[in-house]
Amino acid sequence: MAGDPYAALGVSKTASDAEIKKAYRKIAKSDHPDLNPDPAAAERFKAASAAYDLLKDPEQRRRFDAGEIDDQGQERPQHRYYRQHAEAAGNPYAQEYGFQGDPDLSDVFEDLFGRRGQGAGQGAFRGYRAGSGGGPREADFSMRGQDHRFQLEVDFLTAAKGGKTRISLPDGGDLEVSIPKGAHEGQTIRLKGKGGPGFGKGAPGDAYLTLSVGQHPDFQREGDDIFVTLPISIDEAILGGKVAVPTIDGPVNLTIPKGATSGQKLRLRGRGVNGGDQQVELKVVMPARPDDELTAFMENWRKSHGYDPRAKTRTGG
Amino acid sequence: MTRIYTEAETIAAIDDLTGERLVTFIRARIVQPVQGEAGQMFRETDVARLQLLCDLSDAYDLPEDSLTMVMSLIDQLNTMRGDMRALMQAVAAENDEVRLRIHTLIRDLR
Repeated sequence: MAGDPYAALGVSKTASDAEIKKAYRKIAKSDHPDLNPDPAAAERFKAASAAYDLLKDPEQRRRFDAGEIDDQGQERPQHRYYRQHAEAAGNPYAQEYGFQGDPDLSDVFEDLFGRRGQGAGQGAFRGYRAGSGGGPREADFSMRGQDHRFQLEVDFLTAAKGGKTRISLPDGGDLEVSIPKGAHEGQTIRLKGKGGPGFGKGAPGDAYLTLSVGQHPDFQREGDDIFVTLPISIDEAILGGKVAVPTIDGPVNLTIPKGATSGQKLRLRGRGVNGGDQQVELKVVMPARPDDELTAFMENWRKSHGYDPRAKTRTGG
Repeated sequence: MTRIYTEAETIAAIDDLTGERLVTFIRARIVQPVQGEAGQMFRETDVARLQLLCDLSDAYDLPEDSLTMVMSLIDQLNTMRGDMRALMQAVAAENDEVRLRIHTLIRDLR
């Protein structure tokens, strides 16, 4: 039965239970398949008995009228979920979501999913046609080449200042690679088209180099800032003065203030990586062996100028 | 090094953010700062998120509950995009045979 059970019985929606029963009996009498050989009559009887089954029960009738169940007495689907449609291939509302314009991944994306947009679902995968045997036919088949991933060791200063280095590839060739200024540990560099060859009209894959940056005996780096520990003599510490300090771009004169002390930090603005700073930590270093003159001076000096640098530490010893 | 912002620093860092707005966003749990000793602390992510929230509320006049929904969608999409990126990178680095199989299957499905 399709449609309206009231129509099947030929009654109005406001018909009483008695009217419904009467209408059904009338149809049963005239159209019962055992009495009436006309196939159309059989259809009318079938529809009428289904309608009567539904409407004779007041609760069922109420639920049908309220739209809770359909004319088959089935629960009406309460809700449609768009996600089912939205996720399906060929959804007319499908949108790109950030890879088509991606400088690194647009090729990979298109290779896997084709171009999205105008008339999705159709013409999306030109260049690929499954043969009748199920597999792709050689001549029409296009696939992008494999991406290759490598580790590349870069020395500290090349990473900090930028520069060129070479990498040897597994196939025997080697490549010159430009390391950008301020390259950091774990950064990847993409060499477009330097991966495996493509199939058919497919482009070659890319090579990705993941950098690991080596250590330096003098410099340490945190982001764009360079850290250096600078040894100074006791006279430089007490009297102050200009001292040459190494930076990644060569030595620079640094003014040590009078009365400098170990652990004191001085900043060289803009001397780090890419406009970062260099931080210099001072470290007062004794002469290799205190000579007699210094010892004698200190003995004398202590008598009247002794001080306790541990005054603020609260250790029991 | 990830910087951590106090409530006052956060409000100062974003032009369109007022204390009142911040309270609304936190109450709606659209932003979830970390609880520090000195009160609520905001990570760089939170600050960037608050900037976006202010932009969205201003540009579209979005009430709080709509904003919650929009941000939920944005979060879902971005999480998926991140996963997708990783997956695509992984696939692209596989050898020809594996990629061919994946390729064929995806084109059958989509």
